[in-house]
Amino acid sequence: MKRTFGYRLNIFLFLLPALILFIGILIAPIIMSLIYSFCDFNSISGADMKFVGLDNYKTLFSSMLTNPNTGKLFVNDKYMGNALGNALALAALSVFIQLPIALIIALKLSKGIRGERAYLSIFFMPVLISTVIIGRLWMNIYDPGEGGLLNALLRSLGIDKWLFPAISSGIKSSKLPFTGQWTGFRETALIAAFVPILWQYIGYHMLLMYAGIKGVPMELMEAAQLDGCTEGQVNRHIIIPYIKPILRVSVIFAVTGSLKSFDLVYALMKDTTKAELPSTLMYKLLFLHNSYGLGSAIAVVLIILCFIFALLISLAFRDRGEKVA
Amino acid sequence: MKKFVALLLAAMMLLGMASAFAEAEKPTLTLWCIATESDANRPAYEKAIASVEESLGVKIEWEAFENQSYKTKIKAAMADPSTLPDIFFTWAGAFCGDFAAQGNVFCLNDAYQAYKDELPEVMMQNASYGENKDHYAVPLTMNIVALFANMDLLAQAGWDKIPETYDDLIKCCDDLVAAGIIPFGCAGSETWCVTEYLEPMILKTIGYESLNKIFAGEGTWNDEAIAKAVDTFQEMIIKGYFDPDGLALGNDQVKANFIAGKTAFYQNGSWNCGEINDAEGNFKVAMFPVLDAEKATYAQVIGGPSDSLAVAATAKDTELAAKVAFELGKEICHYGYLAGSGLPAWTPYYDTADVKPLVSEVAAMVAAADGMVLFGDTAMSADPANIYLDYVSKVYGCEIDGAGFIEGLSSQLQ
Repeated sequence: MKRTFGYRLNIFLFLLPALILFIGILIAPIIMSLIYSFCDFNSISGADMKFVGLDNYKTLFSSMLTNPNTGKLFVNDKYMGNALGNALALAALSVFIQLPIALIIALKLSKGIRGERAYLSIFFMPVLISTVIIGRLWMNIYDPGEGGLLNALLRSLGIDKWLFPAISSGIKSSKLPFTGQWTGFRETALIAAFVPILWQYIGYHMLLMYAGIKGVPMELMEAAQLDGCTEGQVNRHIIIPYIKPILRVSVIFAVTGSLKSFDLVYALMKDTTKAELPSTLMYKLLFLHNSYGLGSAIAVVLIILCFIFALLISLAFRDRGEKVA
Repeated sequence: MKKFVALLLAAMMLLGMASAFAEAEKPTLTLWCIATESDANRPAYEKAIASVEESLGVKIEWEAFENQSYKTKIKAAMADPSTLPDIFFTWAGAFCGDFAAQGNVFCLNDAYQAYKDELPEVMMQNASYGENKDHYAVPLTMNIVALFANMDLLAQAGWDKIPETYDDLIKCCDDLVAAGIIPFGCAGSETWCVTEYLEPMILKTIGYESLNKIFAGEGTWNDEAIAKAVDTFQEMIIKGYFDPDGLALGNDQVKANFIAGKTAFYQNGSWNCGEINDAEGNFKVAMFPVLDAEKATYAQVIGGPSDSLAVAATAKDTELAAKVAFELGKEICHYGYLAGSGLPAWTPYYDTADVKPLVSEVAAMVAAADGMVLFGDTAMSADPANIYLDYVSKVYGCEIDGAGFIEGLSSQLQ
């Protein structure tokens, strides 16, 4: 009995530092955010903090209501609906564009092509580069002036003559014509922000999938090939099912990463209003508007959404009879 | 030989320790500011700090942060005042007012008495709060919104002076466009740059008293005259008087375009005087013309003393920190004025013959000013200021018109 207790005490003592860090860095801030989200907490000092129940959550989603004065949809960037819609669009693009591209690259590289290691390093490089530098790089690509790489390319190919008027006709938020100001209009700024985000993390997911594919037993693939399977059939029926747990992790990372996305949008655009995401909105409310209650409510909504999506994705990837952790 | 080397090393160590102790005897104060390496005020800070360290026998440990990130840093530090430095940079108006209301800023009324002959009390007003108008920050320089013009480009369009009436300005813009020159540049990706155009236009339509009341929360945004000013601004944008690329550009690029001769006008803060004055070309400065002569005059300006230093209530020695803040304010003003990065909030005690011509022109405008309105995002407290900036951003992108601007702001702020 005494020995068992001593053994458990040892385990507890060894786990204690990690537990303290986990509670101090993760759990305590979540609990504090939850408390703040039920308060009107506009002062940084917290001196005039008062309990307001669910008011912050109601305010947050009021953009989905109509303005009683005008009867029009109440649109203001202070509110959450628009930002959440953008984050969900980014999540969808991540799952349906970023991950398939990463999978295709991983499948190709894992076949042992020449320069495999070099390609791996090249595709993974954007993940290693600081997001601020990536932001500066893409700012130069999108520059509407003479130095802008994208516009220079479009002009040299003569594509701008039909593309710019076509984009102009698609811009509903402004009366101004589009002449290559990619980050200047709501419609184009959102896409302009999404492209580098998707591009940067292709290498990350590719590496995860590549490692998974390398772990597929060779005899399985050889047996399939002996049975007459084509490369596509081997990929579809052997490799992809085998790396399903990794695909699940990639999808969870892509979706939750999209919901939390902040740094690249902030680095790319000084004014994030045109490509608002929940995290950029949270930053604005916390540090520019001094609205700690509303900002904390966004933090709580994001945490809940990340949990829900992680659970749904795990359920979607669950094999028959498998339990979801 | 070995003994000699050992003795030499020991002597050097002792000397080093002695100098360290001597340094430690000096009172040390910490300072946070926004004078980063690329900031126009950096040389003024460096010279001022060296000068004050010598004259007061103190050691100032200072750190500079980028403007936007500093706003976050200082607000976060206010949540835990023990992390505040002894002296910190702040903008006057509601920005500093919020901190003073929290009790995190040391009141400077007593310290001011020693400087009142050099620093007119009117310059302290933007950082004076409460019923007694207690002083909470030391102004450095003061700045106004000015209309800079490239006279070489204007000459190409047949103009030898900056237009002083709105009708002339429109004629001038038409002539510039006909000559293939873009009249204005404005950085759409930094909303404060848009306010540098919109606020003077609203001011020159409704007058300084009305605009001051609105920024103070005592007047209403729901004013047809404001809607008209916004519509006038948008008319100029739609007519092609503004560089269309500006919608996606930052202020540095827009300013560089102006200095490089791509745009004829650039309306921004007078802190740019030194840089524009030193650039190659023939530059002049004026103010935006009047839109409604019944309510406003040409001499009314947007601006005032805003850049300031405040003392944290948690400073180790608040009285010494207050004295250092005033001395620093005076010296930063001195060196900044001579370098052209601002106008003097303090009465100059030095020879001003070497002040740059553009700075002198702006100083003359300020001297002749018959009404001043502090920058909107500084005058209003954080939440309304940022709602206001969101609407200003939509105005420049022509997402909302004048009616939408006044309807939105009046419903959200009043």
